[in-house]
Amino acid sequence: MTRRITALAVAAVTLVAGTAACSKSGGSGSSSNKTLIVGVDLPFQGDSADTSNATLNAMKIYLDSVGGKAGKYKVELKQYDDSTAAAGKWDDATCNKNADAHVANADEVAVMGTYNSGCAKLEVPKLNQDPNGPMLMVSHANTNVGLTNKLESGEPEKYYPTGKRNYARVITTDDKQGQAGAQFAAKDLNVKRCVVINDTETYGAGVAKAFADEATKQGITVLGNTGWDAKQPNYTALFTGIKAQNPDCVYLGGIYDNNGGQLIKDKVAVLGDNTKVKLIGPDGFTGYPAEDKLPEADAMYFTYPGLDQTQIAAAGGTGAKMLQTYQSKYNGPPPSNYVAYGVLALQVILAAIAKSDGTRKGVRDAVFEGDGVSVPASDSVIGKDIKIDTKTGDVATTYISILNMKQQKETFLKPYSLG
Amino acid sequence: MSFAEPLPRESKPRGRMRRRLRFTWPLFFAALAIGAFIFYYVLTLGYLDPAVNDFVQQWFPLVSINEALVWVMAALGLNIVVGYAGLLDLGFVAFWAIGGYVAGWLMSGFFDKAHVNVLGNPAPFIVGGIHINFWLVVIAGAAVCAFFGVLIGAPTLRLRSDYLALVTLGFGEIIPQVFHNGDDVGGLNISNGTKGISPIDPVKSLSISQQGVTFKSLGPFDHLSRYLIFVVLTILIVFMSLRLREGRLGRAWLAIREDELAASAMGVPLMRTKLAAYGIGAVAGGVAGVAFAAHVSGVLPDRFQFSISITLLAMVVLGGMGNVWGVMLGALVLAWFNSTGLPQLGDTFNSTFGTSINFPSYSFLFFGGTLVLMMLFRREGFLPESRTRLVLREPERTDMEALGSDIEEQAPELDGMRIGGKSGDDEGARL
Repeated sequence: MTRRITALAVAAVTLVAGTAACSKSGGSGSSSNKTLIVGVDLPFQGDSADTSNATLNAMKIYLDSVGGKAGKYKVELKQYDDSTAAAGKWDDATCNKNADAHVANADEVAVMGTYNSGCAKLEVPKLNQDPNGPMLMVSHANTNVGLTNKLESGEPEKYYPTGKRNYARVITTDDKQGQAGAQFAAKDLNVKRCVVINDTETYGAGVAKAFADEATKQGITVLGNTGWDAKQPNYTALFTGIKAQNPDCVYLGGIYDNNGGQLIKDKVAVLGDNTKVKLIGPDGFTGYPAEDKLPEADAMYFTYPGLDQTQIAAAGGTGAKMLQTYQSKYNGPPPSNYVAYGVLALQVILAAIAKSDGTRKGVRDAVFEGDGVSVPASDSVIGKDIKIDTKTGDVATTYISILNMKQQKETFLKPYSLG
Repeated sequence: MSFAEPLPRESKPRGRMRRRLRFTWPLFFAALAIGAFIFYYVLTLGYLDPAVNDFVQQWFPLVSINEALVWVMAALGLNIVVGYAGLLDLGFVAFWAIGGYVAGWLMSGFFDKAHVNVLGNPAPFIVGGIHINFWLVVIAGAAVCAFFGVLIGAPTLRLRSDYLALVTLGFGEIIPQVFHNGDDVGGLNISNGTKGISPIDPVKSLSISQQGVTFKSLGPFDHLSRYLIFVVLTILIVFMSLRLREGRLGRAWLAIREDELAASAMGVPLMRTKLAAYGIGAVAGGVAGVAFAAHVSGVLPDRFQFSISITLLAMVVLGGMGNVWGVMLGALVLAWFNSTGLPQLGDTFNSTFGTSINFPSYSFLFFGGTLVLMMLFRREGFLPESRTRLVLREPERTDMEALGSDIEEQAPELDGMRIGGKSGDDEGARL
C-alpha cells in the first residue's frame, strides 16, 4: 500500500517536473533583444489583491493603447508578487527576494510599485546598489514621507547607499494630506477648536501630526492628539472626555479597518452629528462600502491624496478612455482610485524609457538627471501635468481632493492644491 | 491498512550496515551544502550557460536558499523543545522576533543618540546608532533569547500538554505585539512600531564574486557569502543539537517526552530539564532571528505572526520529530516550497495549460492536504527518529491481543542496550 502511494507520488512529481522542463524550453526562445521589461511589484494576495489585479489590468490596457512601445523600445510588463498567502499581505522576505529578481532579470529596466511603503524601504536600497544601475522604481501608492524626505533620523539618505536617488512616486505624501485637511478645516469650515485622535500606526500617527501642526499654524486650537485603541469595544468614554473640552471639529488620523465604524458611531452619539461638530478623516477612511452605509458617517469630510475616478472620467482624454475600456472589459469600474495612479506610474516609466538609451542606468538618469521627465496634461491619465522633482523623486505639484459623505456616497466636493 | 493483516516487522540492520545508515544523512547534507556552494560559485563566475542561469534564478535562487537556511535554524530550535523534550510550543515566533530586534538594536542607526561601534560596520549615510560586529550580535541574540526562553518557560512548568501549548501560544502572541506597539513605551521608542528598523548594517566578511575573493562589507547581492555564513550557523546548531541529544540532558529530555511522571520518579529534575529545553531551543531561534535580520537587512513586526509558529511546527512534524536530519529536510523543502516552489509551479502550470489560477493563494490547501496525508500514511514524518518510529508503529493493545503477542516489537528502551554496559555498534536508537 505504502509502496503504491510512493509510486504514484513519484509519477506525479515526474509529470510536474516534465511540464516544467517543456515550458522552459518553449519560453526562452521568444525573447527579442530590444524588448524591455518593466517589473510590476504588487501584493497579489490578501486584502489588496483586487486592487493589485485591477492595477495590472489597467496598465495592460494602457500599454496596449500606446502600441506596447515607449519611444523606439518595445515594452512588456512582468508580474512580481510581494505578498504571501500565509501572511495575506506583503511580506519582508518576499520583497527582499523580489528586489533580487528585478536585478537578476537582465531585460528589466525599471520597477513599477510597490503598494506598501514598508516593502519599498526594503527594495529601494537593493535596487539602488544594482551594479548595472541604480534601477528606477516608481510607486503609485507609497505615501510614507521618509522614503523621499527627512522624517526620521537618517532618512531618506539611508535608503540610497550609493548616494544617488532611484525612487520616484506619483502620489502625494501623508504630510500633505494632513496639511490640506487642516487648511480646509480652517478656511472652508471655519472651525476653531479641534481634537485630533489617531490609530497609533505609522500612517495614522503621521497624518494626525501633520494635521495638528498645520492646524496650529492656521490658528485652530488643537485640544490634544491622542491615540485610539482599535481593539476597544466602544469609545463613549473617550468622547465623553473630549466633550468637556467643547470642540467644534474632530480629526481621525488612521484607517477605517481599525474599528473606525465604532469610532464614528460613538463620536456622533456623544458629540452630536457631523454638521454640528465637524468630522474629518484622511484617505484611510475612504473606499469602504460598510462605512458608506453608516448613517452616522453622513456629512463627514475626507481628504484624498490625488484625484478620484469621477474627476478623471469627467476630465475626458486618456484617463477617461482607459477607464471606459476597463469598464467594458471587466464589467465595472476599478475598485480603487489607486488604479489610475498605477497607470500614471507606468506613464512616468515609459516616458523615462523613451528618453533613455534602453539601459537601466539610462532609464534612471532620465528621471533624476538634467530636466527629468514629465507627462503633459494631454497625455496624463489624471488629466494634469505631472513633473517628477529630480532632487527628491516626488511629484512637483500635488493635487488633493476633498470629499464629502452625502446620502451614503462619498461625493467629490472640491480640489485642493497646496501652495 | 487493515488490522487483520500482520504488521511488517521493522527490518533491523545489524553491525556495519547499521553504522552506514547512521552516517547516510549527515553525509547527504554535507554533500548537499558543499555541492550547492560549488554550483553557485561556478554560476557566480558566469561559466554556465545563460539558460541554466535563468532556470536556477527562477527555481532555486540563492536568496531563497538562504531564507530556507534561516528556517532550518529556527526549526532545529523548535525541534529541541518539541522533538526532544516533547513540550508543544505554539509561540516559537517570539524568539525569532527577539533575535531580529536584538540585531535591529545592535546593528543599525536606530538609537541615533548613541555612538557605539564595536568592530561594527555602519551602512553608508548612517550617523550615530549602535554598530556591533555581526558575530558578537549572534552571541548577544542567542543570550537574550536564552534568557527569555527561561523567562517564558518558568511559569509554564506547572502545566502539561494542552495547557502548556496555550501558554506558549499566549507568549507567542504577546511578544510580537510588544514590538508592534513598542514605539512609545513610557515615552521611549524601543521598536519603532510598525515601521520596524531598517536598514541593518551589512556584514563584513569574505565576498566571493567575479572579481575574486575579497574581505569587505557584503553588498545586497553577495548571497554566496551570506550562504556560507548561514551554513556555518546551521552547522553550529546541528552540532549543538546532536551533542546534547547524546548526552545526559538529551536523555533526560527524551525521558520527559515519553513519560513525565516516570521520568520524575526516576530522578530526572523536571524543572531544570524543561527550562534547559526552552532556553536552548530559544538560542537557536535567536540565532535564526539575527540571521534573518541580516538576510532582509531589516526587521519589521508584521512578519512575526502566528502562521510562522505553525509553519515551523509543521516543518518539525513533517520532517520527523526529534531527528535533526528529518527536521532539516522538512524545513528546507517547506521553506523552498512556500517561497519559490509553489509560485513557480503555479506559473508553469498556468503557462502550460493557459489557465490563470493563483496557486500561492492555495498554499494552505496543499499544506493541509499534505499534513492529512502524512498523518494517515506516515505519522512519524519523512525521516523519523528510530525511537519515534518504533513507538508509532507499535500496534494498539487490542490489536496485539487479536494478532497474538508475537507481533510485539522489542521495547524501544531496551533497544541498543546490552547487559554488561557495552553498547557496541548497536546504537541506532540514538541516531
